[in-house]
Amino acid sequence: MKGTRFVVIGENVHTSRIVLRKGKRFAVENGVEGVTFETLDGESGLLPISDAMRATKAYDEGRIKHIALAVDAAMGRGGDPDLGLEYLRRVVADQVRTGAHYLDVNVDEISLRTGEQRAAMEWLVGYVGSLTALPISVDSSDITVIEAGLAAARRAGDAPPILNSASLERTEAVELAVEYGARAIVTAAGADGMPSSAGERIDNASRMVERALGAGLRIGDLFVDPLVFPISVDSSFGLHTLEAIRALRERYGPEIHITGGMSNVSFGIPARKLMNAAFINLAVEAGADSGIIDPVMNPPDAVFSVDRDSEAYGMAEDTLLGRDEMCMNYIMAWRKGRLDTPVG
Amino acid sequence: MFQLSGIANETIRAEIEEFLERPEEIERNIELFSRASPAMQDIAAALIEGDNDTVDRLTAAALADGVPALEIMDDGLIAGMGIVGIKFREGFVFVPEVLVSARAMKAGMAHIEPILAASGVEPIGTVIMGTVQGDLHDIGKNLCIMMLRGGGFTVIDLGVNTSPDEFLAAVKDSDARLIGMSALLTTTMPNMAKTVEAFKDAGLREQVRFMVGGAPVTPEFGEEVGADGYGKDALACVALAKQLAPEVRG
Repeated sequence: MKGTRFVVIGENVHTSRIVLRKGKRFAVENGVEGVTFETLDGESGLLPISDAMRATKAYDEGRIKHIALAVDAAMGRGGDPDLGLEYLRRVVADQVRTGAHYLDVNVDEISLRTGEQRAAMEWLVGYVGSLTALPISVDSSDITVIEAGLAAARRAGDAPPILNSASLERTEAVELAVEYGARAIVTAAGADGMPSSAGERIDNASRMVERALGAGLRIGDLFVDPLVFPISVDSSFGLHTLEAIRALRERYGPEIHITGGMSNVSFGIPARKLMNAAFINLAVEAGADSGIIDPVMNPPDAVFSVDRDSEAYGMAEDTLLGRDEMCMNYIMAWRKGRLDTPVG
Repeated sequence: MFQLSGIANETIRAEIEEFLERPEEIERNIELFSRASPAMQDIAAALIEGDNDTVDRLTAAALADGVPALEIMDDGLIAGMGIVGIKFREGFVFVPEVLVSARAMKAGMAHIEPILAASGVEPIGTVIMGTVQGDLHDIGKNLCIMMLRGGGFTVIDLGVNTSPDEFLAAVKDSDARLIGMSALLTTTMPNMAKTVEAFKDAGLREQVRFMVGGAPVTPEFGEEVGADGYGKDALACVALAKQLAPEVRG
């Protein structure tokens, strides 16, 4: 990063986020099972698992959707509202502290009823907006939920939010962004499928950029997401995205933002933090200036000061550049403890 | 009573000892491998290690020695994949390693399948897979397909954005009666229910079995839409397909 700011869109207020029951965040205190956290006053808090969540198979198999739990509690839909609010305050504060510029909010998994999703989005945008001056990135697979979030941000008089996201299967979302004075993430998803090459990413994303500019959005208000896929599934996925980033930067110049869900790259492999850090560096080198990331796991300062000459970093880079078939060297090195390099 | 020490192959013994934690799984695998011949254990061990070439070579050699194809499939390939599945579930191995083992399994099945087909033995089954209407996400679905093929299934891949009519047409056009539906969005999950309804309307619901999966999909949701089972990942999908396949076989 030379002079330009890396725009962090913090992804932690997302109702799909989980902690594991066998992980260190889970605890039983006075017979109450819950997710531990530290309140802003430095006290130790416990967000209790609701009966509703305890009844799910996901819980049975050891997965706790902690953000959904906190939002439900905070909204008075079960559990102690104060604890829910306290928990969300911590999640927001952590992202502010670690350098987020936008806070992505997604409530898709709070309920399957879009009415409930809209209500949760409205409430959460208002609440997060009351905690921080940072603008919100309103994220949903349902356009009406996005609109509810954009409207809530406008009512609160918050800084212009980001609409996350518009793509060829949902081009009308760009008009919504214009209507609400929002910036927009435009993705490289196709009208009838996900891109399977760099070329398709470039074509799809370019069509969306043109569409957004045509609708009246300014180029500096656009965040292009060429889509990041897991390197565990196909060794060439990293190169597809990096090549698309390079081409899009060249085509649209310095003003447009180029972003992506960077942590997708490390799905299905160990030492994700290192792999994410390496991918963010490679993406920035290719021309990205933003990331939809977990800034607590991958604080930008640590990401950009990582020792790029270390053996571990080199292995991550090799894997991402398609030089480690099926991630075998990377996984082997992890097993031998050779990836235990500090990355923040 | 079978004992761990009764298993000839050192790799298999070490795998069971190191990675299996649930008593019933330990017991089942010790029995399974104790009954398997040393040659079958070698195939299973090579498969667990993702050694494509060795699985290929040992499978061919076993067939040449007159070992029945079904025995190689059950005691070698499927038995080995069973261990891989448990290790994946417990976090000991990762997605790429499972894919490598699936590839090795496929190499073995390439020898087995024609023999089974020629002798009229039913293949494990055929699965129709598709991401539901309105949803373009296919990474998870494709992982399931790779694993199903690795597990010996034939797969008809309908791709993404699959309408209820397309699922229906695929059933009418083939012998397949097992259907896997995937969704990554809460907005498209209801289309799983619509697909099940479409089969009811067409009078075909009883003849097929539905499996559902995808990040936001839950087992509870699967029950609600009237699916026959839910798989939380690609290996659970294969296990479920194995469980449901006999219910719709000829």
